[in-house]
Amino acid sequence: MIKNYLKTAWRNLLQNKATSFISIAGLAVGICCFLLLATYLINELRYDRFHQKADRIVRIIQNHKSPDYNEVNTIAVTPTAPVPVFKQQLTDVEDGVRIIDYSDMRPAIVQFGDKLFKEKNVLMADGSFFKIFSFKFISGDAGSALGNSSSIVITASTATKYFGADNPIGKILKVDGTNNMMVTGVVEDVAEYSQIKFDMVGSYAMMPRSLIRKWDSANDYSYLLLKPSADRVATERKINTYLDSLYKNDLAAGEKIWYNLEPLTSIHLYSTAGGLEPSGNIKYVYILGIVAVILLVLACVNFLNLVTARSAERSKEIGVRKVMGAQRKQLFFQFITEAGIITLVSLIAGVVFASFCFPAFSDFSGQALNFNTWNITWLVTAILGLFFIVTLLAGTYPSLYLSAFKPVVILKTKSTGAAGGNTLRKSLVVFQFIVSVFFIISTLIAGNQLKYMQNLNTGMDRSQVMVLDIGGMPFNNLEPFKNAIAQNPGITGATASYNSPVNVRGGYSINSADGKNSDFNLPVTAAPIERNFIKTMGMTLVAGRDLDLGDEQQVRKDSLRQYSFILNETAIAAMGWKPEQAIGKHIGLNGRTGTIKAVAKDFNFSSLHQKIEPLVIFPEYDWFGKLLVKTNGKNTAATIAVMEAQWHKFYPNSPFEYHFLDHEFEEMFKTDQRTGSILQAFTLVTIFISCLGLFGLAVFSTRQRVKEIGIRKVLGANVMSIVGLISSDFLKLVLIAVIISSPLAWYAMSAWLQDFAYRIDISWWVFLLAGGMAILIAFVTVGYQSFKAALSNPVKSLRSE
Amino acid sequence: MLSLQHISKYYQVGGNKNFVINDISLDVDEGEFVSIMGPSGSGKSTLLNIIGMLDDPSTGYHYFVDQPVHQMKEKQRSALYKQYIGFVFQAYHLIDELTVYENIETPLIYQDVKGSERKAMVADMLDRFNIVGKKDLFPAQLSGGQQQLVGIARALIAKPKLLLADEPTGNLNSKQGEEIMELFRKLNKEDGVTIIQVTHSEKNAEYGSRIINLLDGRVESSKKF
Repeated sequence: MIKNYLKTAWRNLLQNKATSFISIAGLAVGICCFLLLATYLINELRYDRFHQKADRIVRIIQNHKSPDYNEVNTIAVTPTAPVPVFKQQLTDVEDGVRIIDYSDMRPAIVQFGDKLFKEKNVLMADGSFFKIFSFKFISGDAGSALGNSSSIVITASTATKYFGADNPIGKILKVDGTNNMMVTGVVEDVAEYSQIKFDMVGSYAMMPRSLIRKWDSANDYSYLLLKPSADRVATERKINTYLDSLYKNDLAAGEKIWYNLEPLTSIHLYSTAGGLEPSGNIKYVYILGIVAVILLVLACVNFLNLVTARSAERSKEIGVRKVMGAQRKQLFFQFITEAGIITLVSLIAGVVFASFCFPAFSDFSGQALNFNTWNITWLVTAILGLFFIVTLLAGTYPSLYLSAFKPVVILKTKSTGAAGGNTLRKSLVVFQFIVSVFFIISTLIAGNQLKYMQNLNTGMDRSQVMVLDIGGMPFNNLEPFKNAIAQNPGITGATASYNSPVNVRGGYSINSADGKNSDFNLPVTAAPIERNFIKTMGMTLVAGRDLDLGDEQQVRKDSLRQYSFILNETAIAAMGWKPEQAIGKHIGLNGRTGTIKAVAKDFNFSSLHQKIEPLVIFPEYDWFGKLLVKTNGKNTAATIAVMEAQWHKFYPNSPFEYHFLDHEFEEMFKTDQRTGSILQAFTLVTIFISCLGLFGLAVFSTRQRVKEIGIRKVLGANVMSIVGLISSDFLKLVLIAVIISSPLAWYAMSAWLQDFAYRIDISWWVFLLAGGMAILIAFVTVGYQSFKAALSNPVKSLRSE
Repeated sequence: MLSLQHISKYYQVGGNKNFVINDISLDVDEGEFVSIMGPSGSGKSTLLNIIGMLDDPSTGYHYFVDQPVHQMKEKQRSALYKQYIGFVFQAYHLIDELTVYENIETPLIYQDVKGSERKAMVADMLDRFNIVGKKDLFPAQLSGGQQQLVGIARALIAKPKLLLADEPTGNLNSKQGEEIMELFRKLNKEDGVTIIQVTHSEKNAEYGSRIINLLDGRVESSKKF
């Protein structure tokens, strides 16, 4: 019997190539997208779970609340003391590790023989690092690899980069010219789904800071391994009790410092404190999960629609089979088998599509994704599950519907017995278009927001600014280097600063000010700059005057430095002043004293997700991390060549590297851009699937109305009126979908926009445009069928038998 | 073998009952060959469908091989029907996706006949109808007469006691029609199959042993030969 079913199903599939293709294409695309998204989600969810002790590892984050500022300042770093102290004093803590992001603070130039690279991913960590975290050793021993203050562990690809095929163990790498570090271990390259990513991990003990246990100046990422019996919350409470007594005498009234312990496995998706790498977002996981399910349902709906739409053609067969003694049950199984075959073909196509799409999708998502992301049992289960779910979802209703046909009705009349089911089919098409329009609107809004962020006047001129990393350049060479490159006509200015101006991170506080109490404390972001910073970066002052040579000379003195501060408007407001009043006021900033020289118009110095916070910039010629070179944009290649030549002269043994400030700025909302492009791709997919559904319905409906169309033509209707008649039916459905979809999309996108401190207003034309697009797409889909029907010869359609 | 008592079939149109079959009583014995005639809309096909259990009467009593069909549930009726009745249609109603062989085989599948047995029965039937050479063709590749032959072979494969034919020659030319009618006569005479056919043609009706004339849902005349 099953053989007979399979045979009929297969022949049916081949005979109706168009509808089969539409069903299979729709399902295959749906399944492909589902698999891609599921892979992405699995990757997000397995983040950091590969560590054997992952469920016991926590990260310490530090919170600081100042009485003079109403927001809590949360950072993912701690001072050097907590880890060793807690390890000694708290019974709940089994072990702990401090990690310094070495290459984030210095250029990290590593040399072996004549090979010289600027390393971007160098960490320094306590010896317990490899005991707490489970990175796989290829050679060397996890327990003792970082035992010595000059040991360093490298990854396999780093080993190949420096040593080729030679055995790396025991080789000496020269780090930043002075430190000789011996390779004691090689680990496998770190997986993409690890928050701790590195090419090299050196011993924390190599850093001078390791000698002192300090409770201020937070720079270390601190992870604790709790005992299996320990409770995270209870441990957190013990830690904070300890901190309270520790800081008792140092804090002002109302000031508070406390720690939180974040479980390692929830950091990537839930933490807002930042860390070694920018976090993901659990919201996106939910959204993409929902999108995956919706796409699959859409594809199933399509299939369901097409099968029921074809019922007119199948009705004769059903009638005959029933007359020959088939029971409903048997027919039901026949149709379910057919659905199963189509699902199977689609599933195979979907899996093949997905495997072709993985490279592009990996680029898209910034994660290395493929079927290996899955564990094999899951993959098999998922594919089998998909097979059954899709078969049942897509096959049950049509099978029930078709198998219920009454043979006498079908066999007697030549027309269809399938007048019913129309409402259902229409509702399904409306549903598909609700989803499509929703996606269209969301994509338009997300696109607008992204464009808005790119073009937002952030208060500084980022265009044609190149950023050079000068953290390791001998400080006295900086001035001559600047002078040398300034000769080039392509360079219009150069200024050094501590951080990149789009990502200023220094945590300071204003702890004395004219007219404030002695325990005044306002946390601010601050950074040392050169005196021509404001001018070069095209910033505006709202009060006071720009820095001049006098200010520079004041801070170049060895003692009794007098600082000239520039505060942004937000900082001035937080102090409770007006910009004009503030000029000339004395303030103290972490031990630096001086006067406010100017008030700068607010500019964005960090992610656009955040509001502009209080900022202080001040000239200080001790150390600079970045050199910002403003070019005129003409003949950039020549300019770069000149800079490179000068670079090697003033900073030998260091590779010349640069990037554009604009690019760095865009990198900061890469996650959002990624979401935007994922949204775009899926909009196309939903539109595609929905159009397939609509097309199928149009084919069916015109066939069903062939007689009506014939009669109308005989009565004198022209082609356009018939096209209008048929199309308007569908356009009505799309219009309903637009009306239902718009408020949903508006609501969802408003929520999404809440995440941005700088956001667009959703304008009405977006809905109009999306609706127009949907109607246009629908019209193109249905139009062909309508014209075909309208042009057909009525003699044919009205012939009785 | 078949007894209809005061069978009516009507549709409610507004407040009125619109009768398609109006109080027909009819008995058919085993071995009879009945032709039902009448103008369009006289209720011929509806009557045949009721006899074939494809349609339910609105009122009346229906006995088939001494069992009360009007009291049966769908499932019992279907079992009874599968065992005793074969159907032949004017438009042949072969399944387009199946070959001649498979079309003939299908009723056996629904009766859970074993594979080897099915093979023998279908081979036998193909042989008897001289269509062995066409067994792998699809319906679209056959002429109308050949299609109807397959339709009859399919109706007979399960060895029904009663063959119902709704204008079996309606779509055929006269020569093909004659062949089919000869076949019916032979089945009736030699195999003892009871046949009830609906027809428009006087000539075909005369193959039967009884002719029933319907008009407006009533039996207008009935004559036996």
